[in-house]
Amino acid sequence: MTDYDLIVLGAGPAGVNAALAASAAGLRVALFDENRAAGGQVYRAPAFAGTTDDSAERQAGDALREALAKSRVSAFLGHQVWAVTADFQVDAVGPQGSLSCTSRALVVASGTTERVVPFEGWTTPGVIGLAAATILLKSQKVLPGKTTLVAGCGPLLAAVAAGTLKAGGELRGIVDVAGFGDWLRALPAMLARPDILRQGLAWAWAIRRSRTPLYARHTLVRVIPEGERLRAELAPCDRAGRALPGERKQVLVDCVAVGHGLTPATEITRLLHARHRYSRKAGGWVAITDDCGRTSRERLYVVGDAAGIAGAAAAAEHGTLAGLACARELGAAAGSLDPALGQAQRRHARAARFGHAMARLMALREGHVQGIAADTIICRCEDVTRGEIDAACDAGARDVNQLKAWTRCGMGPCQGRTCGDVAAELLATRLDVPREAVGIFSARTPLRPMTVGALTGAFVYADIPIPKAAPL
Amino acid sequence: MQDANRGVVVDFHFEGRRYSARAGQSVAAALFAEGVRGLRESPREQQPRGMFCLMGSCQECLVMVDGRRVLACQTEVSEGLSVSRVAEVGLHD
Amino acid sequence: MTSSNTSQGFDVCVVGGGVMGCTTALFLARAGMRVVLVERDALCRSASGVNAGTLTLHMTRAALVPYAIQAWSMWMHPETWLGQGVLATAAPGLSLAFTDNEREILAARAAARREYGAQIDLLDPTAACAIEPGLNPAVLEAAHCTTDGFASAYLTGRAYHAALSAAGVRIVEQTPVTRVERLAGGYRVHGLDGAVSFDATRLVLAGGVWLEPLLALLDVHIPVKTLINQLIVTERMPPVMRTVLSIASGLLSMKQFANGSVLIGGGWQGLGDRERGGVETIPANLIGNLRLAQHVIPALADARVARIWLGLESETADAMPMLGALPGLDEAYVIGCVHSGYTSGPYMGKLLAQRILGETPEMPLFDPARLLATPGVPAQTH
Repeated sequence: MTDYDLIVLGAGPAGVNAALAASAAGLRVALFDENRAAGGQVYRAPAFAGTTDDSAERQAGDALREALAKSRVSAFLGHQVWAVTADFQVDAVGPQGSLSCTSRALVVASGTTERVVPFEGWTTPGVIGLAAATILLKSQKVLPGKTTLVAGCGPLLAAVAAGTLKAGGELRGIVDVAGFGDWLRALPAMLARPDILRQGLAWAWAIRRSRTPLYARHTLVRVIPEGERLRAELAPCDRAGRALPGERKQVLVDCVAVGHGLTPATEITRLLHARHRYSRKAGGWVAITDDCGRTSRERLYVVGDAAGIAGAAAAAEHGTLAGLACARELGAAAGSLDPALGQAQRRHARAARFGHAMARLMALREGHVQGIAADTIICRCEDVTRGEIDAACDAGARDVNQLKAWTRCGMGPCQGRTCGDVAAELLATRLDVPREAVGIFSARTPLRPMTVGALTGAFVYADIPIPKAAPL
Repeated sequence: MQDANRGVVVDFHFEGRRYSARAGQSVAAALFAEGVRGLRESPREQQPRGMFCLMGSCQECLVMVDGRRVLACQTEVSEGLSVSRVAEVGLHD
Repeated sequence: MTSSNTSQGFDVCVVGGGVMGCTTALFLARAGMRVVLVERDALCRSASGVNAGTLTLHMTRAALVPYAIQAWSMWMHPETWLGQGVLATAAPGLSLAFTDNEREILAARAAARREYGAQIDLLDPTAACAIEPGLNPAVLEAAHCTTDGFASAYLTGRAYHAALSAAGVRIVEQTPVTRVERLAGGYRVHGLDGAVSFDATRLVLAGGVWLEPLLALLDVHIPVKTLINQLIVTERMPPVMRTVLSIASGLLSMKQFANGSVLIGGGWQGLGDRERGGVETIPANLIGNLRLAQHVIPALADARVARIWLGLESETADAMPMLGALPGLDEAYVIGCVHSGYTSGPYMGKLLAQRILGETPEMPLFDPARLLATPGVPAQTH
C-alpha cells in the first residue's frame, strides 16, 4: 500500500495543475516544493505580505495558490526532496525533519536552470542571472542596483528591464544577442496567445519610453569591478553571439543581470533512467515523452519546462494534461476524463506555440561558446577554465563524465547544473561531434547538497544496521 | 516564521556588522540590497563570489548561520540572525 | 577471414581498462610488446575511477597484505612507473572499535594481518585521539597502521590514459567485447557486436564484474559476484580529520582530501547488477553509512553531502583473486576480483606482466582453475 496515488515534484504552474487535476479526478496526491509557497519561478509568491503588485503574473500566482489551498492535495512546501527511487519512494527534509513517502505514479515538474554562457568576469559579485533579477524584483522587492545593465537573450531580458524600470531602477542598457529580425520571426507564433503578447508589448513600450539604450546583436565581453561598481564592456556580435572586432562600449553600473536562456532541469528523470534526447530548441536534454508527459518509465511523467522549454502558460496546461492522463492510467473516474483531456490538449497546443517561439530565441546558439576565452572560468564551483577543458579534450577525454573526472568540472556542490550545458557544448564543438555523442553529467543523489546532520537525525550507535563484515 | 511578522523591519548581522531588512526576505537578497555583494571566496582560485542564481541551484551564496552551512538565498532573515562567511576550506590544492 | 575493420599484429589484447588491465598493458608495452586495450566504457569508469581511493591494509584480506604493501609503494611513487599520479597521500590509518564485540574483531583481525607483515598496533582511546583529534572520544580501542593513505580515484583514468598513450598502447574505449575467436596462434577479439576486431597472440581478460561473461566467451565458467558499493562525498570543508578511518568490521572507510572534501564509503550496497551497472542508491543504506561516519567524526554533522554514487566490485566464490593463466588455453590470462582491488591493483598487474613476459613473478599468482564451476551446477548469479 502506497502513501499516495501520485506524488508531484515541483509546485510551479505545471506541478500545481497536475496535482489539482489528478486530485479532482479522485487521486490521493502529494505535492513537494523547496519554496515555502507555490508558484514556481514565474508565479513566485512575494517573500512578505503587504506588497502590492497588479501584474498578470502575480494574479495568476495568487489564483494558483488559492486553488491549491482549497484542494485536497497534501502540499509539502518548504521541503527539500533529496532522493527519488525507481519505485517512487520520495525522501525529503522539511521544517519538521525527515519525511519519506511512496506513491503509484510520479509527476516531475522541476522547471529549469538558467544558462549563462561565460565571459570574462562573469563570476564577479554583482553579476547575477536574469532569473535571479526577477526574483529580486518580484518576490524580494529589491532593486538589483541603482543602475543596472541587462544582457543576454530571450523574453527574460524584457521582463527584467521592464521590472527594473517599474520598480524605479535606472537601466543603463539592454544588450541583446538577438537582432530585431529574430524577434520579428517570433511574432506570428506569439499571436497564438494575444494576452501574453500584450504583456510583452507593454514591457516594450515601457522600455522605449524610458529611452534605455538598446544594443541589439551585441554581447557582454567583460565585466571588471571598479570600486563598488562594475564596468561592463559590450561589443557587437554575430548571429552566434560571438563578439566581432570593433569598438567596445563601456558601461558603469551597480549590477549586471545576464542570461542566455533556460535549460530543462532533468536531474530526476535522469536519476530514474528515463530515456532522454538532446534538443537545442527545447533547451537541451529532455526526457522523451508523449503529449501528456509520459516518459519511457512506467507511471513517470514530466511536465512544464522540465519537459522542454515552453513557458509558464504552456506549463499550466501541460500539468493539467498529465494530471488527467495519470488519473486515467491509475483507473480513477475512467472514461469521463476524455472531454477534459481533449480540451487541455488544445489549450496546451496554443500556449506551447507561443512558448516554443520564445524558446527558440533563448536556445543555445551554435558556435556561441567558441567565443569564450581560454582563461575564463566555466565551472564556478571548482574554478575550471575553458583552457583546462580544452586540454582534457586534447588529452583524450571524449564524454562529459570523463571530462568531469579529469578536470573536476561539474564535481562541485552545484552538481554541474551551472556549467553542464556549456561544458558539454565546448567538448562537442572541439571534437566536432553532435552533442549526443558527449553525453550528459550523470545525475546523482542528493538532488541538492544536504547537511549530514539533516539526513542522519537522532540515532544511537547500536541501532545502526551495520551489514555483515567483509571477509578477513 | 509567522506570516503576520513578514515584512516588518528587522536587524540582522553579517560578519558582525548590523544590517536591516524586511522579515521574510532572503539573507542573500537583503545583503545584496545593502550593497554586500561578495559573500565567500572560490576554493581553488580564492576569487570573490556572491549570490548568482538566487534559487538554490548555483551554491555560490553559501554562508554560516548559527554554525550551519546554508545558502543565503534559501534562508529567511529574522530579527537578530547572525550570518558569517564560511571558513576557508581544505588544506591546500 | 579478415575484414577491413580487423586490426592485426598485436602481441597482446587486454580486455578491460581498469587498474588491473591498464597496469598489465602498461608493463607489457614498456617491455616492448604491441598492446591493444579494449574497454567497454571509458578507462577506469566503473570501478577503478569511482572507488573510495583508500590505500589501506586495514581492509585488505590478510593473505593479500604482502601484495598490498608492494602496491602501496607503487601508488606513493607514481613517478617510478605511472608518470602523473593520482594524488596518493600517505596518512595514518585507524580502524576503530566502539563496542566490546568490535574490540574482539579488531584484535583478531590486527593479529591476522600482522602475521602477513602489516605493522599494526592497538591503541587506547587517548593515544587514538592524539593521532586523530576529531575522533569520537567514545572509541574503546583503535588499530593503527602507518602504511595507509588515499588517492583521488577519479584521476586514475586520466593518469593511465596518459601513461598508456606514451607507452604506445592502442586504447579502444566505448567498445564492449562480444565475441572471442580462437585462431591458430592467437585470438580474435570482436567488439561492438562484430563492428571491430583485434588479432593478438595473447589475451588478457581484466573485465572486473564482467569477467564471468567474458570468460564464458572462451567456454571457461567461473562465477563472479557483483557488489554495488555506495560512495558519498561532501563538499569542500575545513579540516575535520587527518587520518584514514575505518571500523573493525570494515563497513566504513573515510578520509578528507587536501581539497577539503570528505569521502565516505565502506561497502554499503546500492541497487544494480552487472547488466545495468549501479542503478540507484538505497536511502536507508545512505543514512546508515552516514550515521556510522558521523558517529566516528561528530563534526561531520555540519558537512553537506554533495554527491552519492555507486561503484562496482567483483568477488569470486572464495573472495580471493583470479590471477594467472586460464586452464586449457594457450597464452590466455585472467586478472581480477582482488579484494581492496584499488589498493593492490597495480602490483597485481605488474605480477601478471612478469608471468606473461616469461619471468618468474615476485610473488605467487592465484590460479583461476580452483574456481571452475562444477559442470551441471548453475553459476551463481547476482
